[in-house]
Amino acid sequence: MIASSRDSASDIGDTQSEQFRTVALLRFFLSNEFGLIVLVVIFAIIFSTLSPAFLSKFSLYALGRTSAVNIMIGFSMMVVILTGGLNLSVGAIGVSSAMFGGWLMQAFGLPWVPAVFGGLAMGAALGAINGIVIVQSGLHSFIITLATMSIFFGVMIFLTQADSYREISPEFAGFGRMKIQGVVSPLLLVTIGVAVLLSGLFRLTSLGREMLAAGANPQAAELSGIRVNRTITLCHMLSGVLAGIAGMMLVARTGAAIPSMAGQLGQDWLLPAFLGPVLGGTLLTGGRVSVLGTLLGSFLVTMLTSGLLLMQVGAFWIQTYLGLLLLTAVLIDLARRRYLQRRKLV
Amino acid sequence: MNTAQRLISAGLAIAILPSFALADQSTRVALVPGGPHPYFAAWEQAGMDAARDFDLGSADYRVPQKWELGLQNQMLESLITQGYNAFLVFPGDPVGTVAIANELADTGAPVVALAGCLKDPSQAMFCMGTDTGNSAYLGTKELLKVLGSGAKIAHFTGFLVDPNTQLRIDAVEMAAAEGGAEVIQVIADIDAPEPAEEKINAYLAAHADQVDGIITTAWVPAVVAANALRKIGDKRIVMVGIDHDEVVIQAIKDGFVHGTMLQNPYGQGYIGSFVADKLLSGCAVKADAPFKSNALTDKFIDSGTVFAGVDDVDNYVASMQAITTVLFEKFESTYLDC
Repeated sequence: MIASSRDSASDIGDTQSEQFRTVALLRFFLSNEFGLIVLVVIFAIIFSTLSPAFLSKFSLYALGRTSAVNIMIGFSMMVVILTGGLNLSVGAIGVSSAMFGGWLMQAFGLPWVPAVFGGLAMGAALGAINGIVIVQSGLHSFIITLATMSIFFGVMIFLTQADSYREISPEFAGFGRMKIQGVVSPLLLVTIGVAVLLSGLFRLTSLGREMLAAGANPQAAELSGIRVNRTITLCHMLSGVLAGIAGMMLVARTGAAIPSMAGQLGQDWLLPAFLGPVLGGTLLTGGRVSVLGTLLGSFLVTMLTSGLLLMQVGAFWIQTYLGLLLLTAVLIDLARRRYLQRRKLV
Repeated sequence: MNTAQRLISAGLAIAILPSFALADQSTRVALVPGGPHPYFAAWEQAGMDAARDFDLGSADYRVPQKWELGLQNQMLESLITQGYNAFLVFPGDPVGTVAIANELADTGAPVVALAGCLKDPSQAMFCMGTDTGNSAYLGTKELLKVLGSGAKIAHFTGFLVDPNTQLRIDAVEMAAAEGGAEVIQVIADIDAPEPAEEKINAYLAAHADQVDGIITTAWVPAVVAANALRKIGDKRIVMVGIDHDEVVIQAIKDGFVHGTMLQNPYGQGYIGSFVADKLLSGCAVKADAPFKSNALTDKFIDSGTVFAGVDDVDNYVASMQAITTVLFEKFESTYLDC
């Protein structure tokens, strides 16, 4: 009788465990990340079928190198979006950091390691300015970062006189051109390393969880003892550091620090900055972040652009296709969330 | 292809065809501007004509969808993968494009900077474009021939990030100083319709009576300023424009614009494609080629510029043909070892 009862309890436990696994699997299949993986695979098959050169070594290398920078730019926006805010100055911060790093190498002859850290420190400082002004003024980050975008870029142009720094450490420039096994850019490895660190931050550390809590519900987070203002400032600092990494990656890529690397006011970075996180499932209202999703989203956009260029689709259609992709991804996400709600899986 | 391009093409075919040797069908030339701009539109026809006249595999005009250095780099990388083996590139940034130009050159493809130069050192074979400073200088001199000394002139020009812009500003200042005139206003960063419309119209609305002459040294400001003078019906202000947009040409005929400084984008694309093929077939750039120097490079070739006033405007196509023909006829013997 006892044994039978135990067997019965064990059966119930097994059944529950199996149900849990089934639900977890179902939720994974319905996740943004899985959707993006499917899209990446589908587009890779389409592009490589229509243009076999898509899988050539050089094409894969160029794709990896370009997506490495775009993913980093996406991360830079992602860590601010998770607070429910925006950072329109990612490009201006990235370029300012890169120019500062380039200046350290050219004017002081610093080796590349301290110069890069100097550049990242500049990114952190500019991010901190954003964060402090936002929490002290109580204004939305959209307004503040719109203003600082012009200020940071304007000061950088004034100080550098729009001149480039070309005396970059040869080792550093060589790093940007290096090919591992003829296919992999080390810049992509840097990006993957940063992605792992960010995942660890949000999954394993109390600081990461505080960031998510502050983004999900600032009042509740404050009541539970989280210093929300400090957390938001830290997110902006992190965003500045990540923008700085993207800027330094471009310095390595071009072998020079140039003021136009992110366009006028750094605006060229805005589209990749938003596309990756939004496609990846980071909520614009804050509180939810997907590092893998951002990585896949940015990679997908870069791959789509490369593939369309390779297929010689009219250059002006590329923007249209990217817009359609974004709209499709948002609609699929909407359908996914409705399905999960109907099945009471969330 | 507009009428002008058709006529130039036909004229050049007659003038040039007898002078070339058989070329290689495997030559695939990519002509890549920094982004969309009417100045570069002539490259498309130039490439097609060169491919036909010199029997190239192709000479295709490939435009990045917007002016973004990253996009231009991505497009150039894609073009390597697509099998293009010669590149005529307007640098999105004179320094920032050097790395990708060197990568292209490392694949064995000849790279020529076209219409704008890369900053030395680079692996570009040379730079061929308008001597922008000289063009601005000559245009201002033409303006002052009419206005005389003591004139007050306004200068409308292109993007400050374009290294040519500062050269133009300096050249206009120099010509004005030599002619005893004064540049009372420089408006830059307006080589796009929206900022050009806004700033030129606002300036003329407020200060038209204080200005004797206008010199424009970029395509869009020339069009917008010509339209503005027509709208306000002002033939007192003397204007010298640049390039051959229909609006500017018609304004010259109607007396609203004194003349225009023609550049030679068609010739750049046509001769550039020819040279790219020659370099692929074993020719080399002469070590002692008589290159000019400018602020960016010591390997500069002037693709030519000429003033077209009301007497020449009906024949401006012939003027552009003449520039290209002269440059082409002597190009191989002057610059190449074959």
